[in-house]
Amino acid sequence: MPLSDVKMLIGGPQGTGLETVSHVLIAALAYNGYGVLSGREYHSNIKGRHSYILLRVSSHEVPKSLTYPVDILAAMDPETVFTHCADVSHSGFLVYDVGGEDTRLDKIVSMESYTRQRIEKRLQREGVEPVLGKLVEYLESKGVKVVGLDYRSILSELRERHGIAPHMLSRFTSSVIVGAIAGLIGLDEESLRAGFSHRFAARKQLVEPNVYIAVKVAEHVSSKFGPRLILEESMLQHEEYMVVSGNEAVAIGKIIGGVRFQSYYPITPAQDESFFLESHEKLTDGNRQLGSVLVLQTEDEIAAIAAAMGAALAGTRAATATSGPGFDLMAEGLSWAGMNEVPIVVTYYQRGGPSTGMPTRGAQSDLFTALFSGHGEFPRVVIASGDHLEALNDAVEALNIAERYQVPVIHLLDKFLANSIATIPIPDTSSMTIDRGKLVTRVEAPLNYKRFSLDELVSPRAPLGYAVSWYTGDEHDEYGHITEDPVLRVKMHSKRMRKMELIASEIPEEHRAQLYGYTEPDLLLIGWGSVKGVVLDAARILEKKGVRVSYLHIRYMSPFASKLVGKAIGRVGVDRTVAVEHSYEAHISKLVAMNTGQRITKEIVKFTGRPIYTHELVDAVLRILDTGEKRVVLDYGA
Amino acid sequence: MERSPTDYRTGLWVDWCPGCGNYGILAALTQALAELGLDPAKTVIVSGIGCSGKTPHYVRVNGVHTLHGRAIPFATGVKLANPELTVIVEGGDGDLLGIGAGHFVALGRRNVDMTVIMHDNQVYGLTKGQASPTLPYGVQTKGLAKPNIQGMLNPVLLALASGYTFVARALATDVKHLKQLIKQAVKHRGAAFIDVLQPCPTYNNVYTAQFYRKTVYRLDEDPDWDPVVRDPSQEHSKKMAAMAKAHEWEPRIPVGVFYHNPLVPSFEERLQSRLGNYLEEPPARQTIVSGSDGTPVVNTESLRRMLGAKVITVRRSKRAKPVIAPMP
Repeated sequence: MPLSDVKMLIGGPQGTGLETVSHVLIAALAYNGYGVLSGREYHSNIKGRHSYILLRVSSHEVPKSLTYPVDILAAMDPETVFTHCADVSHSGFLVYDVGGEDTRLDKIVSMESYTRQRIEKRLQREGVEPVLGKLVEYLESKGVKVVGLDYRSILSELRERHGIAPHMLSRFTSSVIVGAIAGLIGLDEESLRAGFSHRFAARKQLVEPNVYIAVKVAEHVSSKFGPRLILEESMLQHEEYMVVSGNEAVAIGKIIGGVRFQSYYPITPAQDESFFLESHEKLTDGNRQLGSVLVLQTEDEIAAIAAAMGAALAGTRAATATSGPGFDLMAEGLSWAGMNEVPIVVTYYQRGGPSTGMPTRGAQSDLFTALFSGHGEFPRVVIASGDHLEALNDAVEALNIAERYQVPVIHLLDKFLANSIATIPIPDTSSMTIDRGKLVTRVEAPLNYKRFSLDELVSPRAPLGYAVSWYTGDEHDEYGHITEDPVLRVKMHSKRMRKMELIASEIPEEHRAQLYGYTEPDLLLIGWGSVKGVVLDAARILEKKGVRVSYLHIRYMSPFASKLVGKAIGRVGVDRTVAVEHSYEAHISKLVAMNTGQRITKEIVKFTGRPIYTHELVDAVLRILDTGEKRVVLDYGA
Repeated sequence: MERSPTDYRTGLWVDWCPGCGNYGILAALTQALAELGLDPAKTVIVSGIGCSGKTPHYVRVNGVHTLHGRAIPFATGVKLANPELTVIVEGGDGDLLGIGAGHFVALGRRNVDMTVIMHDNQVYGLTKGQASPTLPYGVQTKGLAKPNIQGMLNPVLLALASGYTFVARALATDVKHLKQLIKQAVKHRGAAFIDVLQPCPTYNNVYTAQFYRKTVYRLDEDPDWDPVVRDPSQEHSKKMAAMAKAHEWEPRIPVGVFYHNPLVPSFEERLQSRLGNYLEEPPARQTIVSGSDGTPVVNTESLRRMLGAKVITVRRSKRAKPVIAPMP
């Protein structure tokens, strides 16, 4: 029977074509109308260390989360099979290179010794000799269907057929993998051509040799290896998809939202956003130039936020993007933005800390950094996105809020979202508006302009160039000149601070937090950011098991939807509320306590740097319900 | 419109110490602004922290008094967002060369069209006289408990090495000369730097006004001194000559223009060649909303064409020909 949902893991050394496999497969699948979500795990390394793609394809939705076990484990190298031998379902498929069968675990130099020991122990427990061939035999004995291919001979054939130079051959390993997967799930030649054409649009000469290999392998696999995992035809109605990472979703949101100045200092996992903006710096529609985005790579993050603020003072929609260590450097600038009511957006991609921590892995442990960094008190808005579409829309919204209220806005994301790729519909701009707030370019008496007029909470803002104004990090009067007068201080500081009340009164709580599911469920999960997808998927699985789980998704970390959240928890009872977060401390519980007085004591956390997978979240929820456990620490994944 | 230096004063009480070199800088600055006839609304003074940081409050043009060491990146953002603005940075030696040294170097590399005026008094005045990066090794000024244990950074050499295309030094008490240099620097298209020797009467009892009066000499007194690069082939020799001059300190300290290279493309010109519309429509001047209803200028249709490489059209049936969105 055709399948509606297939999960696969494709692994290999970093820098040897995984990106191509991912790109080609996603394009070919999208071409057939499927919804795809894929995540990428990699070390802080350019070439050689183990990396993998976890991909999920569905015929009836865009998948919201990733999960194990996978139906297909496709290995570019022996390390992948050793690392992920427990990740493949017992009725799944293993695609591997028979040429590497003699490889012993202890000869894999790219593997960390601790990882090796852990795998060695596992194999020992199962009585498996640590040699690839033996491991494959073992997996086969467990029911895994083994697709052994001789990568080298397949590629040699290509060499004869297409005259590819011997040293270039290994680059085509990706098409062997693509072909094997195509053979298993039933992608035809046309789809493969579509996938490769998309990938190699700028290097068309590579399309045919790659299609040739992939089709050959696909034919071989589909004829030789018994019943396969054929995907049913897509039921999704989309006529076109955009294939984007989280980074790109934010960048596209910024383009629509009018960012025309973006400064940044390179840092993982934020840099791809600025890279994308730079590669689309000329905003053109046919022959017409609609504008341009000036992307400035600065000397450090301190300069990045300072330059963005300078551009904002001159009237540009300006933003910067960074990760934890970079954001720390931006803290003094953020405080200046708060004092000077500068509309600025800082896109903040969290990764594993503290310090450089796990620079290429994900986390949600910077919630309080985003909320409280910077000295002194000042209003700020912190928005966290739960998926690709939210990320795109929130980027537009963050820019609007920054200008409407003249406050710094922090747009909080995480590595999981940043680096995962999803098929989304083309963004519909008809539902989006740009609100520039009280931006004025006509000032009656430009030499006597009060930038910080106390007449209103949000003063009319004339950019530099239209009137004479002063800005200072010191407390200031209505003109912007330094003052230390106690009475004026009270007025000016209160004016700034009271904006938070204004914002809270104008943006409905229902917009700042959303409840998914029943109002009185068996268990209420509460989370934010990329936790959203996995909780919603887990809730559906739990429903089938007779467990009713709801999800309270917090989108605005500041201003917090205190009443809505308080009510939602109150109805279910704090004992039946569980915080879910990629951190040790489940910070959201503390934020809820601060804002509602309700102390959540149950939590499901994961801080391995890998995302929470659906299957482990389902297990964790059941454990909490069945055994009354208060804290479950998840650790699945390689 | 004829403007006088007093038109460029805010009338706020200037709270620098009596005898401070900053008064000379302020006078030279307002005179230069008046003689250049700059529109106050289109002129921006960006400063960092410290005594020099207060300068914008005394001048009636836009003033942005920023964070310690960060005046240059702020100014860079302002200028690049709207290149029509005249941007002047006022910073101290500690501000620009201590905490802000990375930014100082970066401005040279970019050659953004702006002027950096460094108030060089060799001490941190507002925090009671600690040694700044321009105080020579072994010197003990009034506020120091021990002789300076760190070496001196040569600001003129650093500016030359970083790529500033106009590099000069002046004495704060010679208002007329400083004014001339500021005018030249503002008119120069590219990153201009003026190291202003600024006596601090409160904390620096070594490099005093009297000391400078005795040691300073004018580069333009030498009829053969020509710092201007008129042809790319002169770039190397003129820079080497400037560096040699910059090495002079005691017993005689040169002031004037060390190096002036108008041939290097400014950052704005580089952006123009990359973005196409930059100078006509810089970031701050771009329309991002179409009409009055807040509709974004970049809409679904233009996005689809602009990001064609990201778009995949789903095939209608398995018999249909592949339809792949074209690359832009």
